[in-house]
Amino acid sequence: MKLSVIMPVYNRERFIGAALRSLLRQRDAADLDIIVIDDGSTDGSAQAVRSMMAEAPCIRLFRQENTGVTRARNSGLRQLRPETELVSFLDSDDISPAGRFGADVGLFRKDASLELTYSNMMLVDKIDDGTLEPTPDSRSITVRGIHLSAAIFSRRLVERIGHFDEDFIQAEDTDYLLRSFEIGPRFVLPDTLALYYRRHAGNMTRLEDVQSREFMRAILKSMKRRRIDPSLKPIEGIFELKKLADWRFF
Amino acid sequence: MRHSNVYRVASKDIVFESFDGEAVVLDLSTGKYFGFSDTGSGVWQALSSGVGVQAIAEASAIAAADLEGFISRLLEFGLLAPADAPGQPLPGEIVSALAAAREPLSVDVHDDLADLIVVDPIHEVEEPLGWPAVKQAN
Repeated sequence: MKLSVIMPVYNRERFIGAALRSLLRQRDAADLDIIVIDDGSTDGSAQAVRSMMAEAPCIRLFRQENTGVTRARNSGLRQLRPETELVSFLDSDDISPAGRFGADVGLFRKDASLELTYSNMMLVDKIDDGTLEPTPDSRSITVRGIHLSAAIFSRRLVERIGHFDEDFIQAEDTDYLLRSFEIGPRFVLPDTLALYYRRHAGNMTRLEDVQSREFMRAILKSMKRRRIDPSLKPIEGIFELKKLADWRFF
Repeated sequence: MRHSNVYRVASKDIVFESFDGEAVVLDLSTGKYFGFSDTGSGVWQALSSGVGVQAIAEASAIAAADLEGFISRLLEFGLLAPADAPGQPLPGEIVSALAAAREPLSVDVHDDLADLIVVDPIHEVEEPLGWPAVKQAN
């Protein structure tokens, strides 16, 4: 099956090579198409991507002026191939665990009506860039959180969801996932580990004030959609973050 | 005993924002979230900024019984608490918003995202730890 993975990047030369290698090691799981949107990086991110493209023609690099992650993700959606059947996302500083696509793509092969898989993610503070696995001394927590990389979307569902809402500076992923579940897709919640989510000082989600306001806007928009269209579904029983309840992020 | 004429947001777990006059309120302790009709958004913004009930009633066409019922629900949900303070003046933009509002006064409560809201990502933070730290007992 043709699987397109969309990866926006902005100044992540230190990490993007590892992120791409974590996808390339899964080339046997699907007919992989990696869409990298370089959102106006001023460092060596584009060069890092190009240096891998000779060996990996499945990587396609598109460069644009800096427009922010929301528009970059939409640029990625516009680059889907006509033959793309499945769509997923990986951020340029995260790692796709070995076997991640093998496990969940298999579910789509078995069930032609499946539209969405939504799996687990591991928050981890140290990743070995050689093995692309958490180091033995790293700290980690596994949850069914809110992250695009936890999902594989059928192409049909991506068409139904539409684009990322460009009103959002952040929480565009939260908004997108809420919209995905509201429209009542046929989904499963596998226990696959879909993502090593790297916690480090540069993670975007540290911008607390903007982040919380944008998160609240995503919730307000979801409420409004459901008020206007009562056929939309509540988003119950998807996210399982209880393990995080005793923890606090800065 | 009569309720006080002025209210305040009940606790620091009650967080709220408004977008183009539409308010959304989250209770971080329970994960419940609240939305309003257009009239409700205006009244919430007035009450949460310490405007007295009397001033809201005088500046709007809302029936006293409706206003009282709405406030009772906000108290019941734990969003507001009586404040022992003089009422603030009603801001002009809320007066205009209430005049333009068309929907009856109402508040909706939802709890389908509780898991998400209780945990992530709004909690106030005190220290730049860089990694989840065990939350201190309150």
